[in-house]
Order: sequence, then C-alpha cells, then structure tokens
Amino acid sequence: MLENFNFRVIWEYMPLYGQCFFATLWLSALSLLGAVLVGILACGMRLSQSRLLSWPAGIYIESIRSTPLLAQLYFFYFGLPSLGIMLPEWVTGVFALTLNSGAYYAEIIRSGIQAIHFGQIEAGISSGLSYFQRMRYIVLPQALGMTVRPMLGQAIVLVKDSSLLSLISIMELTRAGQLLTSERFMPAEGFLTTAAFYLVIYYLLKAFSNWSEKRLIFKEAF
Amino acid sequence: MISFKNVNKWYGDLHVLNNIDLEIAAGEVVVVCGPSGSGKSTLIRCINRLEPIQEGELVVDNMAVHDKNTNMTKVRAEIGFVFQSFNLYPHMTALQNTTIAPIKVRKMKKADAEELGRETLARVGLKDRIYSYPAQLSGGQQQRVAIARGLCMNPKIMLFDEPTSALDPEMIGEVLDTIKMLAKGGMTLVVVTHEMGFAREVANRVVFMDDGHIVEVAPPIDFFTNAQTERGKAFLSSILSH
Repeated sequence: MLENFNFRVIWEYMPLYGQCFFATLWLSALSLLGAVLVGILACGMRLSQSRLLSWPAGIYIESIRSTPLLAQLYFFYFGLPSLGIMLPEWVTGVFALTLNSGAYYAEIIRSGIQAIHFGQIEAGISSGLSYFQRMRYIVLPQALGMTVRPMLGQAIVLVKDSSLLSLISIMELTRAGQLLTSERFMPAEGFLTTAAFYLVIYYLLKAFSNWSEKRLIFKEAF
Repeated sequence: MISFKNVNKWYGDLHVLNNIDLEIAAGEVVVVCGPSGSGKSTLIRCINRLEPIQEGELVVDNMAVHDKNTNMTKVRAEIGFVFQSFNLYPHMTALQNTTIAPIKVRKMKKADAEELGRETLARVGLKDRIYSYPAQLSGGQQQRVAIARGLCMNPKIMLFDEPTSALDPEMIGEVLDTIKMLAKGGMTLVVVTHEMGFAREVANRVVFMDDGHIVEVAPPIDFFTNAQTERGKAFLSSILSH
C-alpha cells in the first residue's frame, strides 16, 4: 500500500501547505483572541443583575450552542450579503469562528467565576474596590487561571473547526488538501498531510497549556 | 461615629432588624452578641452597606449610608471589615492582599503601599510571612492578614464579624490579642463575637440582640453580672454554663 504513497507530490506542494499552515494559525489566533474577549463580555453580561444585559447574552449563548457551526458559517457567508452586508471571506470566517467559540468561552469563564467564593467579592466591596477593579484584580485572574485546561481544550476545538472555512473558499490547511486532491487526485496524500499539520498545532497548544497551567493555577486557600 | 435611627430591614417576610437605635462614639469598642439568627451579623454588614437597609437612618462618619446617592466607595474606605471566613484573595501574597486597596482605591504609589503593608503585617506579628500565599498560612495567620488588609486603608472604624469563630481554639488568642491592640490604639471597633472574656476585657459596651431587636445595651460588667432581661439572662447562662 505504502509503495503507492507519493511523497514527491507532498514535497512539491509543501510551499502551499506552509502558506496554508500559517493561514490556519493566524485565522485561528485572531478568532481565539476575539472569542476570549467576546466570551468575557458575554459572560459578564450573562451574570449581570440587569435583564437588559443578561437576556441578550443568554439568547446569544444558547442559540450558538444549539446550532451547528456550519449552519452559522453559511448564514454569515450567504445570509449577510443577501442583507446587503458584504465582507471579505476571511473576515466572515473569523467572525463566525469568534462568535461560535465566544459562546463556549462565556460558559467556561462563567464556571470559573462561579467557583470563586463570594466572600472574596464582599471583601473587595468592603475595601472600596469598584466592580471593574474587583473583576480585573480578584475575579478574572482566578477564573482564567482555574479554567486554563478547558479554555485550551476549546482553543483546540477552534483550530479544528477552522477547517470548515475551506467551504467558503478560504485558503487554509484543509483547502490545501482539497487542492492537492482535485489537481492530482491524491486524496490520501492530500488529507494526511493536512492532518499532520493540525497535529503540529495541537501539540503546540498542548505544550502551551501545560506551561501556562503551572504558572496560572493557584492553590485554593480554603 | 456610627448612628442607627429607627433602622428596619426585612428579608422577604423575615424582619431581621427591628427598630434599631444605636449610637457608637468615636474610639468606642462595642461587642455585639446574641443567639444565632438574632441579626447581629446583619447589623454590622449594614454599616458599610454590604446589606442595604429598607427603613430608617444610618449615618457613619457624617455620611448617610441609608441614602442611595451617597458615594459608598468613600464610606467603605473609612471602614475595615474582617470576616468570619477571612476571605483573603488566594492568588495574592499576604503583602499583595494588604496593598491592593491602598493602591487601587487610595491611589497610593506602589512602593509606599508596600512599605505600609510591610509595617502593618509586622504590627500583627507576620513580619516573616509577607510573601506567603493564604494557603500557606494557618487560620490565625490568615485572619491577621485580613486584619492588616483592613488596617492598611487607615480606616476610622473596624468591623469584625465573628472573627474567631472559624479558628481552632489555640489560634483564637493571637487574633483577639491583635484586636485588643487596636482597641488600645483608640480605633472605633464593632465586634460580633461570643468571646465573653474578650468582651469583658476590652469592650466599653455590650449590645445584646435577639430576634432582630436590640434587647440590652450595657457596660460588660453590668451585662455579665446583672442582665436586666430574661432573654439576656437565658443567653448568658447558655454560653457561660460550659
């Protein structure tokens, strides 16, 4: 079987793969950054006393989590232009990934925040710290520290989900496999190489996860 | 310094503070005691509006705590609060726990705040533990860090909500000694506690609460030896009998 495997073609396509590898990296990184920010914002709104804030956040989180990413992606790609909003493909892709993962990050961060003993927040209130100061210095450092593992897990999901962007003709790793397949009809070579590159990103993220967990997770005091 | 006038508070139907009238002068040490559920914790949590009151007037350091328009950050900066369960920030060292509010609320320079934090931690006997995290400290040490955290804001008033109830017996003394030191220094203190020996020694007055009412207010000697009410006598006999 392996004698049929054409390494030469893979080598030939390596510049394309390299280019697409970095495309996947930066599309994912941009979406990840956006998703964490959207997640913190949505989580803050969801936990707010005001229904004006918590309801929209709840509707956003629930509707994203209950529908497939592909449907969301197609909605933004085909639906938005029909509403008169024209965006470049990569913007649409990053937008969809950001909104999708943002909902999951909101829930992950919420679990971290709710694990914090409320007495610490009362201590912050008592010493005159404002809501944002309490969030910034007491709640978020601990919530983000406690949830490093699930957050990195979601980051890995996001990187793999970015393969769906190939369906709206964005050049990234999966699209490279599709090109090799359609130009040379070598699906095994094409997609195995694609998979190998995802594996590299996976191990990069995992190494980062292990490193940051050691630095960020704090011993609980009580 | 602290003045309750006809203060009422409800949790739903439960009348937790019932027509509270109480004046606490500057420099006074007041111990609040009573059976559990009597409203004593609620009483002191109202002073810095951790709990809002629904009726009456509550004035602290000439600022109207009952008024929704009062800037509570300013009021709270003058009041240190020490909790039963310490409530230290576990991701910060003892020193960081004491400096965060001076830096962020008082806008003190970091170096000055750290100098102050070091001095204050030394004052409560923790000179060697300034870089320890809460998880590395005993309960008594954690509570002393919590007291130092309050003191670093240079407050006019310190409130203590059962500061020794979560501690092992051998650590109660070190925390009470720290509070006594503050009492001798002339700070206004309101302490919710069942430590009657402590009350006898340092309190100017004992406030006895039951069922949301202030039942008796008296100097400790009078209260302990000659309680005026049946409920006061019953409470004393139940806590002093063993």
